[in-house]
Amino acid sequence: MTMIIPSDLTHFIDLFRLPFMQRALLGGILTGIMGGILGSFNILRQLSFFSDALGHSALLGISLGYLLGLDPSFVLLPFVVLLALLVSFLLERTHLWTDALLNIISSSAMAIAIITLSFVGQYKGELNNLLFGDILAIQTLDLVFSFALLTVSLLYIGLTLRTQMLLTVDESLAIARGVPVTTHHRIFIVLLSLVVGLSIKGIGVLLVSAFVVIPACAAQQLSRTFTHYVLLSIALGVLSAVGGMVLSAWFNLPSGPSIVATQLVIFVTAMVFARFHLRSRAD
Amino acid sequence: MQETILAVEHLTVYRETYSAVQDVSFSLESGTDTSIVGPNGGGKTTLVQAILGILPRHSGTISILGQPLSPKGYLPPRLRQQIAYLPQNFLVDRRIPLTVEELVGLGWDGLGLQLPWANRRKRAHAVRDALTRVDAFHLRHQLIGGLSGGETKRMLLAYCLVYPRRLLILDEAPAGLDIRAESEFYALLYQLKQEQGWTILQISHDLDMVRQHCDRVLCLNHTLRCQGTPEVALSSASLSALYGTEFVRYKHSHQPQ
Repeated sequence: MTMIIPSDLTHFIDLFRLPFMQRALLGGILTGIMGGILGSFNILRQLSFFSDALGHSALLGISLGYLLGLDPSFVLLPFVVLLALLVSFLLERTHLWTDALLNIISSSAMAIAIITLSFVGQYKGELNNLLFGDILAIQTLDLVFSFALLTVSLLYIGLTLRTQMLLTVDESLAIARGVPVTTHHRIFIVLLSLVVGLSIKGIGVLLVSAFVVIPACAAQQLSRTFTHYVLLSIALGVLSAVGGMVLSAWFNLPSGPSIVATQLVIFVTAMVFARFHLRSRAD
Repeated sequence: MQETILAVEHLTVYRETYSAVQDVSFSLESGTDTSIVGPNGGGKTTLVQAILGILPRHSGTISILGQPLSPKGYLPPRLRQQIAYLPQNFLVDRRIPLTVEELVGLGWDGLGLQLPWANRRKRAHAVRDALTRVDAFHLRHQLIGGLSGGETKRMLLAYCLVYPRRLLILDEAPAGLDIRAESEFYALLYQLKQEQGWTILQISHDLDMVRQHCDRVLCLNHTLRCQGTPEVALSSASLSALYGTEFVRYKHSHQPQ
């Protein structure tokens, strides 16, 4: 491992002048914002394992892309959306436990994906990148997609914020007020699956769900109102993406795991702070 | 002549393969308080959920504030906003970072597309007023997960009160409260009903409360077994027919020495 020493700061700053690093940083920030905003509802609606299973299952979409000789990025997005809607449908219609059904889907999808990849000869070479991501490989088109998705997510959550809050607190209260719960649920699932799908390139299938879980959990520890919670979740998503990228560049570490490790540090700090703060308030 | 707030005609609702509610008809007049009583599994919650459009109906018609509820449960938003519903067990996840003030504010909001900061002042004023009237203004910054049972019920009454409603539907609203908190809840509910002119439809197992407060009783065990004033509907004969022939009601009269 090559370590850049602190005195070599100029070289470190130069790294961020490189276009691929700038794209990676911008991609990380966009993913951080999207992960924060959707993640804040994701965890309260207890969809954390859903997003995790979706990330794992996305490997099947990538392997299908290879098998069909298509660009996996273009197969991935429609695949995750369809899969998310299918899983959502199965969760509504079957009497299985949610975590059991999600386990069946994610482990089966991963198994089939690995077998498919072994057939198409991609198993050894690219599996590592698929599993853990390569944020430095983010292209301008990925950023355009991310920016478009962020705009849609912000508009949707922003304009329906109060409806989303009521839906999260108690679905029956929302239905009684005439909220089209199923429609909102489906739109949210589609947006969540697109965020997961778009983030896979940078973070990898194994770590992608961290973006829609950990910053929101850290924000939940520190928030005293719902509005602050959503805003803090976005801020921590961005902070962890930037912090992770800086760590990755400084110590020449893999970027995806560096971002998730930063999220973990933020989460633990938030937990300790909340505990200490609450205890001192109680005293 | 009193205005009809809710009219239910020949309503049948299925739960999976059986009809939980069968051919039920009744209507509620403005300002009245009607209680649905009956055994567990008798279709009380199913009836209420069908009226609200939470459950689809198999047949029959429901009309709220003069407007028919569509088979898919659609009612124009301006009418929806005039109905408040308190579910059987409002068991909110205690970890949700939502304050009392924020939850009550959700009762004021129209739930269409709007900017998050729309009508901020009007909303804040309405919330403050509603919380003051249920004596919960001091709780406004508290997280809802940290409230006691009694405080939660007062917050929910503020949620109903924050916007002018016509119809309140309560599904065993005081469930989980101790005797004192329950009595305080009803005192507050009926004080507000008087002030606001609410029409109330509530599910209750507390027959004494029903006798004391309600104008009308619907006895439901899948079908309507009887309906009328509490004196008529809660007679020993009616209750035996509703709950089974073994039903015996004991009256306790603890006179102070």
